[in-house]
Amino acid sequence: MAVVPESRVLTFSVFKWSSYSSTYLPENILVDKPNDQSSRWSSESNYPPQFLILKLERPAIVQSITFGKYEKTHVCNLKKFKVFGGMSEENMTELLSSGLKNDYNKETFTLKHKIDEQMFPCRFVKIVPLMSWGPSFNFSIWYIELHGIEDPDVVQPCLNWYSKYREQEAIRLCLKHFRQHNYTEAFESLQKKTRIALEHPMLTHLHDRLVLQGDFDACEELIDKAVRDGLFNQYISQQEYKPRWSQIIPKCNKGTSAQEINRDDVNSDGDDNRPGMRGGHQMVIDVQTETVYLFGGWDGTQDLADFWAYSVQENQWACISRDTEKESGPSARSCHKMCIDSQRRQIYTLGRYLDSSVRNSKSLKSDFYRYDIDANTWTLLSEDTSADGGPKLVFDHQMCMDSEKHMIYTFGGRILTCNGSVEDSRTSEPQFSGLYAYHCQAGTWSLLREDSCNAGPEDVQSRIGHCMLFHTRNRCLYVFGGQRSKTYLNDFFSYDVDGDHVEIISDGTKKDSGMVPMTGFTQRATIDPELNEIHVLSGLSKDKDKREENVRNSFWIYDIARNNWSCVYKNDQAVKENPSKALQEEEPCPRFAHQLVYDEMHKVHYLFGGNPGKSCSPKMRLDDFWSLKLCRPSKEYLLRHCRYLIRKYRFEEKAQSEPLSALKYLQNDLSLTVDHTDPDETKEKLYYFRAEAVISKHHLSGRMCDQKFQLLPSALFKSSSDFIPLGKTLICLRFKAAPDTLTVHALHMYTGFSDVDQTYAQRTQLFDTLVNFFPDSMTPPKGNLWPRANNTATASQNKVEKRFPFICKSEQVKQHDRRGDRQFTASSVSDPCCSPSAANKP
Amino acid sequence: MSTSNANFKNKCVTQVNCIFCDSLLCTRGMKAVLLADTEVELFSTDIPPNRTVDFVASCYSTESCKCKLRDIACLKCGNVVGYHVVAPCKPCLLSCNNGHFWMFNSDAVSTLNRLDGTGLNLLLWGDLPELDDSENEESESPSEEECIR
Repeated sequence: MAVVPESRVLTFSVFKWSSYSSTYLPENILVDKPNDQSSRWSSESNYPPQFLILKLERPAIVQSITFGKYEKTHVCNLKKFKVFGGMSEENMTELLSSGLKNDYNKETFTLKHKIDEQMFPCRFVKIVPLMSWGPSFNFSIWYIELHGIEDPDVVQPCLNWYSKYREQEAIRLCLKHFRQHNYTEAFESLQKKTRIALEHPMLTHLHDRLVLQGDFDACEELIDKAVRDGLFNQYISQQEYKPRWSQIIPKCNKGTSAQEINRDDVNSDGDDNRPGMRGGHQMVIDVQTETVYLFGGWDGTQDLADFWAYSVQENQWACISRDTEKESGPSARSCHKMCIDSQRRQIYTLGRYLDSSVRNSKSLKSDFYRYDIDANTWTLLSEDTSADGGPKLVFDHQMCMDSEKHMIYTFGGRILTCNGSVEDSRTSEPQFSGLYAYHCQAGTWSLLREDSCNAGPEDVQSRIGHCMLFHTRNRCLYVFGGQRSKTYLNDFFSYDVDGDHVEIISDGTKKDSGMVPMTGFTQRATIDPELNEIHVLSGLSKDKDKREENVRNSFWIYDIARNNWSCVYKNDQAVKENPSKALQEEEPCPRFAHQLVYDEMHKVHYLFGGNPGKSCSPKMRLDDFWSLKLCRPSKEYLLRHCRYLIRKYRFEEKAQSEPLSALKYLQNDLSLTVDHTDPDETKEKLYYFRAEAVISKHHLSGRMCDQKFQLLPSALFKSSSDFIPLGKTLICLRFKAAPDTLTVHALHMYTGFSDVDQTYAQRTQLFDTLVNFFPDSMTPPKGNLWPRANNTATASQNKVEKRFPFICKSEQVKQHDRRGDRQFTASSVSDPCCSPSAANKP
Repeated sequence: MSTSNANFKNKCVTQVNCIFCDSLLCTRGMKAVLLADTEVELFSTDIPPNRTVDFVASCYSTESCKCKLRDIACLKCGNVVGYHVVAPCKPCLLSCNNGHFWMFNSDAVSTLNRLDGTGLNLLLWGDLPELDDSENEESESPSEEECIR
């Protein structure tokens, strides 16, 4: 078709609904009455699945959906929803997954309406609310408008194409089924007749070598080539980040290699070479030179005034000054804030905490300093910023640099007052500082927002210990978390510095928990403007009661564009209980009053010191220094993993027929993949080889072989693996289930009327696993012709398996937990008719 | 707190329903007037309503006093039906109040006076069993550090 006609409003009726409450009938969505609170559909409960199915008057290409809203904000507005569409209500594909803002503006979303650049028609559109703005409230939809093309001249050809496409997919499923069940003749004649390709020729080749010929060496070569050709890149890009912590042992000035001396020595004589233990210090990073600057802090008994620079390239700390006060710089301090202007190579510092005993009208002045890196000089910009119209003396505030416009923004912090001591805090309310801008060039302050209780949409509530980050590209400040007196704040808003506009991202209603980081006031955050991400490392709760159960780090990523949080990792109790590896060695212990900076150019975080919150030693502070990289599995890792899968299977197959040569294979070929330099690994290997005896004794009965195999994956992947958790846990889990359940299961799956033997079935299973690493465009269809016996949740599994094809049930449960129950239960799982895989049921 | 319960013992206990969707919000309502503005009539209750309302948005204060308030909405229809006094201000605390921190706007609710066990007389607040006050007191010690570093 040449010209695509204009999109028009489509006529539809409400066809089906999950529930409705009171007078909030589904039909209400057909009329747009933003001033009538009752003109909406509202569900009876928020228990999934809740949905509305709309039926179009005639098939149409549905290009967009518009949601009308109430004239005021409303807790029942949909924070998250999905839209599905199809020609029949049983067979729908996902067209959209998004959310509405909690405001009164209509919102329009483009719907997926093309497959492979071809438009497809829908007769039914299903809207599935997943979450409302008030998490405990029911879902309401006020008004729906659908736009698209219903001109038969356009729709009919699309319909024809779509039927053909669906038949093609059905045929591909048949082909897959035939091949899985070894109906060779049927497979060949269907393929010959229809000329439809099941998969990319390369995968056919792999199938040929693996399943038909059992030529495992050739398989390894094929996989090797695929990895080299970048065919696994798509798979990799879909994987979640894994954190990689490593402790930085800096070189000493004296030229002694730090690696050669043990940690105690470093502690005893390291005073001169690197910053000592502290909390409440400040750090900034100059990404151009890869230098981390550290200033001040509290060592447990006193404030510090030492100033350090760490060069990443040289892996060395250099002391810029033992006492900045002596160099007409700031006095010793803690709980101050620092920011860096990388362009002009200047560092600013503002604020500090003072013990109530030393507070007086003189000491309570808010001095403000600038350090010029190249000149190595401090300049006192102001003796008291409050006298210049800026903030009063504050602590635990936030400060961000806008190099482009040469501005500094500072927000929050508690104002120190003479009578603000702990004893008096009941009579005099604590005061918090508002949002200020400092014009570096002019040296002037302006107050942008006073502290207020979020009464109006443009108001902001001041706080301490929050996070504030400046996004250099969209030029917004992002603020979240913090504390105000005894209240922990969980809201999240942005402030457009050019437009002077506050936008609430989340009002922080409590029930979001589990899906957003537990913010308080000890978390640390960084921003990556390029990736459009905010990173949050959760801190140790200051709350002593919560501390014991709460001893865990977690790392979260907020995707700014998609407005969604994901938890990259939590170190759960299991890690703590594992005695073989102390938590301390693998990652920093949970803490507060630490500092985290981010090098967005090299994508590395640096963390230093803090307070481990040990109630038995309240003066204890930390001086450990860590780097954190967020990585996805590497090509090499996946290659090794695939090799491992192939070799492990090869052994298993051999063990079933020729136990002795299997052992030989184990000793020669498999042991080659073990890194003998790693003592841990060698130990595991020894244990593993001891198991051989048992294996041969029992003629390799499935169960025994299975049990011993649990050691193999850890032996093969322990060393130098960036992704120990992935390799170790997931593979082990898979093996636990292997011959006992999965093989039997495999036989159920692949046999039936056909004469498929066990080998063919198991090889097919391995093939299906390997295929998961390839891009969708190359692989056979993901679904199956008929639902597998015990595979009730196919839809969700497919989704998860795409990420971790070798996952087993217990691990999946964890995955879902991480996403939050509500979201999971509301996903397509509970509603099989939404799932694309179930769509092709005959 | 100068809660003079005696003043309120003769008040009727009312059942409070959401005017929008008619769902039951609370069975311990009391007709009351706003301390800051006695023109404003509302219904108040002492115990947090059990699974019938939830908070919407954040805290705010009005012009009339410094009480910190937070709106509550009917859990069924999501419409705002009143507010909760998160932190009362001093003048309000010192004046004669009924000790209730949960308020329903009279134009957002429909009410019904409850009857006592006999079904003949109106149920009065004095008829209700006393609440155990200890629950409301915070057990946490206020030994809060001002600054953590």
